[in-house]
Amino acid sequence: MNAIAKTPLRGLWALTALSLALVALCLIWAAFDTRTFQGIAVWIKPLKFNISFVVLFSTLAFVVARLSPPYGQGRTLTIVVHIMAASMLFEALYITAQAAQGQGSHYNDGTPFHQAMYGLMGIGAVSLVIGVAVIGGLVWRDKAAAFTPLMREAIVVGFGLSFILTMITAGTMSSLPGHFIGDPGPNGAVLPLLGWSASVGDLRAAHFVALHAMQGLPILALGVRGARQSHLWLRLAACLWAALTLGLYVQALAGQPFLRF
Amino acid sequence: MGADDLFGLASAAVLPGWAILVLAPRGRWVWLDRVASLILPLGLSALYAALILTHFSGAEGGGFGSIAQVRALFADDWGLLAGWVHYLAFDLMIGAAMAHRMDRVGVSRLIQAPILVLIFLFGPLGALLALLTEGGLRAADRRGVTA
Repeated sequence: MNAIAKTPLRGLWALTALSLALVALCLIWAAFDTRTFQGIAVWIKPLKFNISFVVLFSTLAFVVARLSPPYGQGRTLTIVVHIMAASMLFEALYITAQAAQGQGSHYNDGTPFHQAMYGLMGIGAVSLVIGVAVIGGLVWRDKAAAFTPLMREAIVVGFGLSFILTMITAGTMSSLPGHFIGDPGPNGAVLPLLGWSASVGDLRAAHFVALHAMQGLPILALGVRGARQSHLWLRLAACLWAALTLGLYVQALAGQPFLRF
Repeated sequence: MGADDLFGLASAAVLPGWAILVLAPRGRWVWLDRVASLILPLGLSALYAALILTHFSGAEGGGFGSIAQVRALFADDWGLLAGWVHYLAFDLMIGAAMAHRMDRVGVSRLIQAPILVLIFLFGPLGALLALLTEGGLRAADRRGVTA
């Protein structure tokens, strides 16, 4: 009856499609809902997370498609994709459900239930970044994968950096009562689209740059692939990426906004 | 049997159907597949038909033309019960149809599960996600990136 093999690759594309469906849902929602939470339209947060899931799962699909069958259809990847799927589904639905009720999801410890859910969100988020690290590890080990040496290095380093830097930045965020360092007040200036504070420190800037090393370094690898010493350029870019993340991290912890206006 | 009893009965009747859709293996036992896609929707459709034939004319000022007319339909407990059974029957039917469509394009059961729960709770919202997910996966297939 159902002849389509449910490979990890298919799972990653299905998750991309569902994330895209959730983005569409948030945009439809945006046309009707005027409520705000802490001064921000309630649908913004689910929209941002779902866009982020589209980017995450399509990136993973592009990478996994190039693994050789023992890795691309292996048990490790199958388990990792299932855990990431469960994590994403939980995060996306809880964030959306809370936003629809005009309530917070992260940092919401108003009741024992919300406290427990916030704890589970932490487990889900950590599972997602560990999944990225494991898939980076598979790319490293799969010598038959269809990558140039430069792209292999970019993926392994990019995924590894995303994992380490996200654990640092997001880990710090979760240990604090909120992502602001300082009090932006009810009408504090924010950056357009991104929503980061333009008046006080906001750890989300460093968190964003940390998360996207996994896309940034492979894209940079495409940019330098023809150059002499391309591996050297890539390694330099990786160091700069880490330095930029840590710079934003220190800047936020010092209570300074990414851009002030 | 009063409207309250029938409400409880109909609401309880769909639960095994949803449990099967979300949790049970598919394509293994034909009779089990048909509980959610055929047997329960048929039973609920029959109940709806009986309710609406019996009570439609009883609602003073009822109709489909305005919010006020629809409210008048639902002001009567029997009319409200008929409306609720309509939800139960159609949501389950749509749930089974969406599960079948998602099976055909190979959406894994783990990803189907929350979408089906959303159809159970919020009908069209879940169906929207199911159809868009199916469409997205078909688009990926056409681009040849899924294999």
